[in-house]
Amino acid sequence: MTNATFQVSQVTKRYGVGSTEVTAVRNVSLSVAPGEVVLIMGPSGSGKTTLLLMLGALLKPTTGSIQLNGTVLSALAENRLPDIRLREFGFIFQDFNLLSALTVLENVAIVAELAGLKSRAARQKAAAILTDLGLGERLNFLPEKLSGGEKQRVAIARALVNDPALILADEPTANLDSKIGHEVMRLLRRIAKEQQRSVVIVSHDQRIKDIADRVLWLEDGQFKEVTTMAIDPVCGMSVEQEKAISTEWDGRTFYFCAKGCRDEFMTKPQR
Amino acid sequence: MWRLAFRNLFQNKVRLIISVGGVALALLLSLSLDAILEGIQRQVTTYIDQSGADIFVAQAGVRNMHMASSWLPASMVGKVRGVPGVESVTPILYVTNVIEASDNAPYMALNLAYIIGLPPNATAGGPPRIAEGVSIPAKGEAIIDRAVAAKSGVVLGDKIKILGEELTLAGLSESMTTFTGSIAFISKKDFDRIRGETGAVSFILVKVELGESPAEVARRIENQVDKVTAEPRTGFAAQERKVVQDMSTDIVTIMNLIGFVIGLAVMALTVYTATLARRKEYGVLKALGARSAHLYRAVLAQALISVGVGFALSLLITLILSASVPYLGVSLSLQINGASLIRVGGLSIVIAGLSAMLPIKQIAGLDPALVFRGK
Repeated sequence: MTNATFQVSQVTKRYGVGSTEVTAVRNVSLSVAPGEVVLIMGPSGSGKTTLLLMLGALLKPTTGSIQLNGTVLSALAENRLPDIRLREFGFIFQDFNLLSALTVLENVAIVAELAGLKSRAARQKAAAILTDLGLGERLNFLPEKLSGGEKQRVAIARALVNDPALILADEPTANLDSKIGHEVMRLLRRIAKEQQRSVVIVSHDQRIKDIADRVLWLEDGQFKEVTTMAIDPVCGMSVEQEKAISTEWDGRTFYFCAKGCRDEFMTKPQR
Repeated sequence: MWRLAFRNLFQNKVRLIISVGGVALALLLSLSLDAILEGIQRQVTTYIDQSGADIFVAQAGVRNMHMASSWLPASMVGKVRGVPGVESVTPILYVTNVIEASDNAPYMALNLAYIIGLPPNATAGGPPRIAEGVSIPAKGEAIIDRAVAAKSGVVLGDKIKILGEELTLAGLSESMTTFTGSIAFISKKDFDRIRGETGAVSFILVKVELGESPAEVARRIENQVDKVTAEPRTGFAAQERKVVQDMSTDIVTIMNLIGFVIGLAVMALTVYTATLARRKEYGVLKALGARSAHLYRAVLAQALISVGVGFALSLLITLILSASVPYLGVSLSLQINGASLIRVGGLSIVIAGLSAMLPIKQIAGLDPALVFRGK
C-alpha cells in the first residue's frame, strides 16, 4: 500500500533556443491520487512522450515543478534521479523491453537487486509477484518463448517489484491485440485499486479509455479537455460522464452505459 | 550484473566462440612460448643437473657452458684435488661440434652436439643413464643419445664421426637431448689427441666430502687456486639458464606483444559489438534506474568472463601440447611455470579491462530517454 501523491505544476519544456526553439509541453498541471488511473491521449507530436519523460524523471522541465510525496523531483540533482526512478517509479513500455538473455524471473529480480535486495530475496519477491500475475509456470522461460500478453505481464511485474508509488505506462497495448490489451489494462487497473498505486498511461488506444478514472487530452503541448470517467453502478463499466446517460437519485448523479442499465437501476435505486 | 553478463555472453554462441577462441589463441601464443622456453631452459641444464658433480671449476670468469669456452692447465686438477673438503675431481674436455651418423649413407646426417671428453676413472660428468652399452667410453669409442641414434639409424657397433674422427658407437644414453642438440661422450684421450694434445682441460667437476657444503668448498677453491671460478652445481645451472633466458628475452617480448595485440583486438571487437547489439537493453536498465556503474560492471564482467574462459582454454591446450609433444619425436619439452601463469593471467586482465573501455564509454553516453522514443 502507498499514500503517494503526484503533483505536476505548470510544467513547460522547451527544446532549442532562439529561432529553433520548440515548446513541446506548455504549462501542464496534473495531480494524480493514490489508486487513480489517468490516461493521457493525444495525436502524434502533441508532447505526450516529452511529458512522460518528465513525469518519469528522465527529463527535466524547463519551468514548473514535479513533486512526488512532497519531494520536488525536478529540483533534484541528476545523480539522484536513477534511485528515484528505481524505487518510486515503475515503467511499462510499448514493446515490453524485457532483457532477452534473462529468464522471466531474472528480468524481474534484476530490478529488485539493483534497488539493493539480495539475490535470493529478489528472486523470491519476483516469483511471488509473477505468480500473482498468473506467470508462475513461466518463471524460467526466456522472453522469446512468451506471448505478447505474457511479456506485458512480466513488464508489469518488473514495474511493481520495487513497490513504486507511481506506474508510468507508455503505449502499453500498442503491441497487443484488442482482447489481450484490454485484459492487461484491467489487470493494471486492479493493481492500482488494490495496492493504491497511481497509474499514468500514455496511449493512442481509444479502447482502453474505460479502464481509466480520468482521460486527459494533450494537444500542442497542453491539456485541451478533461474527460471525467464514472462507473456504471449496474454493469460496472467505465463511462465518460459528459457522454453518458445520467440520473439523479438521493442528491447524487449516477452515470450509465446505456438506457437499459439506467432503467434497471431505477427499479431498485437504494441497492 | 554478473548473471546478466554471463547470460549475455552465453546467449550468442557464435560470438562467444569467436571471442573466447580468439583470446585463447592469442594467450596460447604467449603461454606456449613461455612453456617452450621454460622447457628449453630446463633441457639445457640437463647435463649439469645430472652430472653428479657438486662444483664446476672453470677458467676465471667462466660461469656456464653454453656458448662459453674454458681452458685450464692440467696442473690445476691436482691443485683443486688438494683443497680441503674435495672428495674427488673429474677433468673434462668440452666443445660444441656435430655427430655424423647414418645407416645407409655414412656421415650424411649431422647432429649438433656438446662433445664431452671423459677420463676412464670419471666419478662425475658421465651420462647419468645408459640405455645400452658402456657408461664410460674407452679409446676409439663414443656414447650418444638413444634418440639421436634412432633418428640417424645407427646401432651399437656402428661407426660414427665426432670431431672429424671415426669412432665406434659403444653406448646409448637416455635423456641427453635438448632443443639445440644432444650430448655425446668420447674418451678424454681421443679428445686430447684430436685437438692436438694441448694438456689442458675445460672444466673440473668436483665432488665434495660428505657433510661439506658445496658453496663453502667452492669458496675455498677460489681462494686457494689462482685464476679459476668455482660454482656450486645449482649456481652453475642457474647461470646457464640465464644465458638462454637473455638470448630469448627479445623473442618472448615480441611474441607477447603480438599475443597481447591480437587478444586485445579480438576482445575489443567482440565486447564492443556485443554491447552495441544490446544497446537498447542497457538503455532500458538505465531508464529503470540502473546507475552507469552497474552497467559498466556488466560490460567489464562480460570481458573478464570471456578472457577468463579464453585463458583457461589456452592453458588446457598448452597442457595437452606439453603432454603430447614428447610423443611427436621432437626434441622439445613444454614446461608451464607459475611465473608464466601469473604473467599471462595479468596480461588477460589488462586485455579485459582495455577491451571494456570503449563499450563503457558508449554506455556512459547512452540517453535512457531514447527507450521511450523507440530507439
